[in-house]
Amino acid sequence: MSSAGRRPVTDLALSGAHFGSKVIEERGAVLRRLRRTDSLFRVATRTAAYTVLLILSGVILALMIGAWPALSTLGIDFFITQDWNPVTEKFGALAPVYGTILTSLIAMAIAVPVGILIALFLTELCPMWLRRPIGIAIELLAGIPSIIYGIWGLFVFAPFLQQTLQPFLIALFGPIPLLSSLFAGPPYGIGMLTAGLVLAIMVLPFITSVSRDVFDAVPPVLKEAAYGMGCTTWEVFSKVVLPYARVGVIGGVMLGLGRALGETMAVTFVIGNAHKISASILAPGTTISATIANEFTEAVGDIYTSSLIALGLLLFVITFVVLAIARYMLLRIERRIG
Amino acid sequence: MISLYAGRKRRNGLMIVLAYAATAFGLGWLVLILGQLLWEGLSGLSLQVFTEMTPPPGGSGGLLNPIVGSLIMTTLAVLIGTPIGILAGTYMAEYGRYEKLTSVVRFINDILLSAPSIVIGLFVYEILVVSMGNFSGFAGAVALAVIVVPVVVRTTEDMLLLVPNTLREASAALGLPRAHIVLTIAYRAARAGILTGILLAIARISGETAPLLFTALNNQFWSTNLGAPMASLPAVIFQFALSPYADWQRLAWTGALIISFTVLALSIIARILSAPRKSS
Amino acid sequence: MNVASMTAPAVSHAASDRAGLHEKVMIRNLDFYYGDHRALKDISLSLYCNKVTAFIGPSGCGKSTLLRVLNRMYDLYPNQRAVGEVRVDGRNILDSKTDLNLLRAQIGMVFQKPTPFPMSIYENIAFGIRLYEKLSRSELDGRVESALRRAALWEEVGNKLSANGMSLSGGQQQRLCIARTIAVQPEVILFDEPCSALDPISTAKIEELIDELKDDYTIVIVTHNMQQAARVSDFTAFMYLGELAEFDSTTTIFTSPKDKRTQDYITGRFG
Repeated sequence: MSSAGRRPVTDLALSGAHFGSKVIEERGAVLRRLRRTDSLFRVATRTAAYTVLLILSGVILALMIGAWPALSTLGIDFFITQDWNPVTEKFGALAPVYGTILTSLIAMAIAVPVGILIALFLTELCPMWLRRPIGIAIELLAGIPSIIYGIWGLFVFAPFLQQTLQPFLIALFGPIPLLSSLFAGPPYGIGMLTAGLVLAIMVLPFITSVSRDVFDAVPPVLKEAAYGMGCTTWEVFSKVVLPYARVGVIGGVMLGLGRALGETMAVTFVIGNAHKISASILAPGTTISATIANEFTEAVGDIYTSSLIALGLLLFVITFVVLAIARYMLLRIERRIG
Repeated sequence: MISLYAGRKRRNGLMIVLAYAATAFGLGWLVLILGQLLWEGLSGLSLQVFTEMTPPPGGSGGLLNPIVGSLIMTTLAVLIGTPIGILAGTYMAEYGRYEKLTSVVRFINDILLSAPSIVIGLFVYEILVVSMGNFSGFAGAVALAVIVVPVVVRTTEDMLLLVPNTLREASAALGLPRAHIVLTIAYRAARAGILTGILLAIARISGETAPLLFTALNNQFWSTNLGAPMASLPAVIFQFALSPYADWQRLAWTGALIISFTVLALSIIARILSAPRKSS
Repeated sequence: MNVASMTAPAVSHAASDRAGLHEKVMIRNLDFYYGDHRALKDISLSLYCNKVTAFIGPSGCGKSTLLRVLNRMYDLYPNQRAVGEVRVDGRNILDSKTDLNLLRAQIGMVFQKPTPFPMSIYENIAFGIRLYEKLSRSELDGRVESALRRAALWEEVGNKLSANGMSLSGGQQQRLCIARTIAVQPEVILFDEPCSALDPISTAKIEELIDELKDDYTIVIVTHNMQQAARVSDFTAFMYLGELAEFDSTTTIFTSPKDKRTQDYITGRFG
């Protein structure tokens, strides 16, 4: 039983024995070739994994290098002034940052409650045969490219708001002392509020589908236990399902916030592009991404271009933090379920 | 107790009504937006759109060069980004499944996945446009590739992780080395899912505007030169929509319709591909 | 299986059994469907006040299904429906006009898997009470304590009421669920295999508890453990493939069953 032809091929390969028969020779050659492919493949995949890290580092590095001229020249002023003057080369990020945060907050203030309510509908109230179609419709909404939201916002939504909602708000809050400056006219149509609303419609399907997935993962026994005590549907949802799914929902909300902060096209068309912080949310303003999108190709001078890149760096840092928090929270709930 | 119960029932009724209203609200916007898109886009749709180039304001023309430009850059982006994405995802699921490197890459990948695409555009501007000295279709393709990579990495890793280990063990028992197992067995099992990931990535970049604005820029004339500025549908829509000319605006709507249709078709195909796996 | 056992279920109506018994729940000609599949066939039996009734039978015989009809839990799922009569204190609860929330306040349920809500121990119990009564803080404290005492849990958690309900051991969690159920002051308590996820010591504690609880409540327990049914219940219903094969006092079922199927099951011929 000791002739070479009987020993398993791997055994031969491992011992590197000198082969006597031709069949074993060939098998040995095949194995050698396979092992070479194996190490090559392993190296290739590992390199690709490192490439992902490289891309991120590249982004951060490139942004920092590009932003350096502006940041070193303007210093701390860059972060605290509203000025935006290409002639005197004085640039301040305050107006774009304010706009980015305000529009995102308006968007989340609307999209989160509405999205959670739609998720409630889909998981508890909707008849079974409707669930799939509506779910697909929500995903369709999520898949519409943002530039479509942009042009729709510009040509349809903004004029509509100019005719209806904005005059209404101006009239409603006019007599009230503090709020009247928050909702002061004239009704431009475009502006911060409009941009926030378009952003809300954009983020809504995302919040809805994340919430729905998390609510679906709540163990049915828990819901039955609550119903078993005589709880109404709303009580089961608000006092048992939501607390249980809390972390996942917050993670989803933060992910949505991350997207809202970085959104460019939906906002650029309707924000008005004014480098000014106004008291009224009906007034035009600007966001970081809108500023970059509108001005980058026209920017002349190193400081101007560099300031825009500095804005990009700022945006990246803000979204990085938000997304990291979201990722952390979602990781916690994945661990609990799985 | 009765009054308490009545209050509870009222609150329940109110919230249920609100939930219905919220759903109607959400779906309503979908109908409005898609409806407007179809209305405006279809009115400008004709054969001319696909055969003639972008016109100067007041002239008549089509969207040929942006469509071709988008096709070229998208194809190139997929060719560059997909292999990197698949290989990286393969590493994370196969070779490095329990390594620290993998969890770091996963975290970084998720950040990149949701990172503002305009920042990606700035990045590619810095490394390619500045060094090459001009805007180019190649830079645009690279920017899109950077967006493709995280999507493909994520789906590849997820799909490969779904392949049961018993399959891998059975092939190892036959004496196959790792690479062979992955290339023949694992990929075949995860094939549909990985393809879905690629389709979703394509759908995603078809609509992206911001990364192209300062990489490929735009081009009114016919050009397939990757070393020079190249037209793309989203960039043209951006330019035309913001202009004051009615015929340009009409072309913008039509372009938007074309993009939406493409994205929708890709999503449906991706869904069909992934469906049989789910039902079994 | 002989023909006789396939006709009428052997339900005992012997006078001696019925003396001093008050009928709390009367089930008559109950059918239950999952879609088109008839899972319960023509069930008729009575549940007596302040007694423990056990539903036993092999897997899939319909005992849990029957239990869940009693608090209309199946209503949550679209494909399931019940046909027939289930009268609680004379009123048919299968009627569409029945208020489900009030019904479930009257008929409580403890599940197989302990399901503490994601809140503190105190809140788990107070939650149910608050649904139905407006109490001052001290009154609420008193009610929480008495519920926990009743469920034999006060000794162990009295000093850590603010701890999360999910931090307790399996047996403690189940007793918490029992405390939560009785805090709402129901009249009937349904137990769906309450001990199958617990260790023997916790099981013994809960069986002891059930024996004490029956003084104040009508209890129905579904169990796949025959010995448990023998230990704990006064009446036993043996179910087989969706039918009620035999219903009688526990002693009779386990010492001199009238139906051959019952006989075969309790002697371990199948199961």
